[in-house]
Amino acid sequence: MFYTFMLYIALALFVSGLVYNISNWFRCTIGTATDDMTPWGRVKAALSGMRGLFNKEKMTILGEVFGQNVLLQKHILKQDRLRWVMHMSIFASFMFLLIFHAFDKIIVTPVFNRYYLALNPWLILFGLTILAGLGISLYRRYFLKVSRLKTSGMDLSVITILFVIIASGIIMELTKLSSYNYYQKIWYVHITASLLGLAYLPFSKMFHVFTTPLSLLANAVMDENSDPANITTRQIMELDACIQCSSCSKSCSVAVACDSKKNNTILPSERMTFLKNYIVNKKIGAKRLAAIQQGIYLCTNCDRCTVVCPAGINLRELWFSAREELVQRGNAVDLMLTPFSYFRGLNHQKIDGKQYEIPLDNIKNLLTQGHAAAPDADGAAIALTPENKALHRSMGLSDRSESFAYCFSCENCSTVCPVVMNYADSQQSLDMLPHQIIRSVALGLKELATGSTMLWNCLTCYQCQEHCPQGVKVTDIFNKLKIVSVEDK
Amino acid sequence: MKYTLFVGCNIPARVQQYEIAARRVSDELGIVLVDNPEFKCCGYPLQNNDNKSYLLMAARNLALAEQQGLDMMVLCKCCFGSLKKAAHQIAQDEALQGEVYTFLAKEGLRYSGKTEIKHFLSVLYHDVGVAALKEKIPLPFTELNIATHYGCHALRPSDVTEFDNPVKPRLFDELVKVTGAKSVDWPLQLECCGAPLMGVNDALSMDLTEKKLTDCNDAGADYVCVACPYCQMQFDNVQHMMSAERQLAFSMPSIVFPQLLGLAMGIPGKSLGLELNVLDMSTIGNYLGKI
Repeated sequence: MFYTFMLYIALALFVSGLVYNISNWFRCTIGTATDDMTPWGRVKAALSGMRGLFNKEKMTILGEVFGQNVLLQKHILKQDRLRWVMHMSIFASFMFLLIFHAFDKIIVTPVFNRYYLALNPWLILFGLTILAGLGISLYRRYFLKVSRLKTSGMDLSVITILFVIIASGIIMELTKLSSYNYYQKIWYVHITASLLGLAYLPFSKMFHVFTTPLSLLANAVMDENSDPANITTRQIMELDACIQCSSCSKSCSVAVACDSKKNNTILPSERMTFLKNYIVNKKIGAKRLAAIQQGIYLCTNCDRCTVVCPAGINLRELWFSAREELVQRGNAVDLMLTPFSYFRGLNHQKIDGKQYEIPLDNIKNLLTQGHAAAPDADGAAIALTPENKALHRSMGLSDRSESFAYCFSCENCSTVCPVVMNYADSQQSLDMLPHQIIRSVALGLKELATGSTMLWNCLTCYQCQEHCPQGVKVTDIFNKLKIVSVEDK
Repeated sequence: MKYTLFVGCNIPARVQQYEIAARRVSDELGIVLVDNPEFKCCGYPLQNNDNKSYLLMAARNLALAEQQGLDMMVLCKCCFGSLKKAAHQIAQDEALQGEVYTFLAKEGLRYSGKTEIKHFLSVLYHDVGVAALKEKIPLPFTELNIATHYGCHALRPSDVTEFDNPVKPRLFDELVKVTGAKSVDWPLQLECCGAPLMGVNDALSMDLTEKKLTDCNDAGADYVCVACPYCQMQFDNVQHMMSAERQLAFSMPSIVFPQLLGLAMGIPGKSLGLELNVLDMSTIGNYLGKI
């Protein structure tokens, strides 16, 4: 009686978790594409999208993905055998136990009417297989120390719950014939752990048993031209499909920068953790915002994470949406003035023209604001004392950038610069010409040296440096000035 | 000839045709390419933002190549320049060396500077050789005018990259001539493609690209030829965008060098990823073997 009551409580928790999660898929947004859509509008878009799946072509694709990736998980096998063995031991055995044991009264008994064995060796065998799978999971986490794989409290609680359910089940099965008293006690443990697991499922990574197949299937039939409403909904759902397996972070092209920049959110799996919380509460502090902006912008868009994700999450499109939303939040992001912006530029037609320019202007304005000190056309005097020795010292740190001292203002660098050449009124458009920047460094005039439009429009094509008769490392000095300037702001 | 292949980030994601064609051509020429899945970003995008992160990223790749005991063949010119520059900086600066070695030691890696970093074009020109290439070309192109685009980060700074003469390079032109095509003279040949400013200042970036393409067109080129994914994206994907946004009066399709070489070697366009180029390449076969 008590346990029937508990079963209903656990079921109620399970269902309310499910409803809460699914409602989030339609209520929460990411990116700027669906700002003006209501949740109801997105539900309708999803239904109409699903109606479009009822044809032979789409059904064949879905069938294939369901067989190959959801059931057999061939893509995991290709990447990592041990991981496939671990996952299959848990997944396949658990499915067996779920159907033939937990739901036996509903599924099995009506079909096989004489199904009942005093001691069922299959239950024990599959139980042991799950325990082996859990063992491999702990082995990977604590002995193999798979790179970038982090273990959270949730990981441990899920493993523990699963362990208790299975271990108690095996003991129960073994003691059934010998001691009824003991069997009864273990039964309580088994049923309590099972109900706990059921109630915890939608609130934990176990929820991926629903969302990962959904993500694999949705991505098989959707592309970037799908309804933007459905893309947003899918992207929110994909956040639930991620279990922090860290395959993405392991393959991430820029993972090294996560150590040197001391910013975890550079790693894709950490970005996922951030986004999971962010979509439900978008109020974040300035420091955290700056960190995630750097984390999500420091990305070469190499697609490796998308290729390896075992849940089939389209991380490439997720980053594009999240990045666009985050850079629109007002803070200036210095990485926007590096080649990391190339991908955004290549896709500028997908972003509203004004929204595209605002974040770029923010950072450009921040870095050039000190430039008000530049001499105007009338040639107003600039104070040359006291001499700024700090600038000279900071220059010495890079590849021979102290060579600025050899400049004798022949202006060769400015003559060969393709950026200077592009403007009829280059002095006005660019504030400073390359040789003037080098002279400013020599004079220790930091604002002049770092604040000009010229500096931030340097292509790094090295024409100036190649053509300097004095061996001044012009481009390297420009790179160094940008680094110094970004560090200061 | 055996190298560890460094493809970088852009090629597998956006310029697959370059890798497809380079692998196919290398195969025909007896260049053995070994893959290293541990290679990551070369550090190029951080060069003007964070020198330390840049150097560590580059050095890790160099150390991985050294672990394989192979020289490195790089397809992208920005990766090439970035790796060369890092090797140069580390060799010059003892304080940096210490920092880099400590970082690498955490992963059990070592770097001593043994690995040579070579761009794909240098491998073709110096290691395979023009004479050997010629033998592989049964039906050369005729009446095909090609504008060779050298790419900044391979050419300059020349004391670091040691790619070719920075003022009057000829390596790429010689390679194009092997295919039977004519390499045209064009004044803006050695200028930047505009890619480094795409996403930073699109108008300026496209101005520079437009000037270059116009110059190719004025010089009578049929195609511009590159050996770098950034240059290819700029002349292919961005030119495609520009034809709508700026109403370009002409189209100057860009071909990646191994595609051009492969066609001349008799490899079908499909095996060279020709259909992956954004601008139409379907008529280039018409220049083959006309006598």
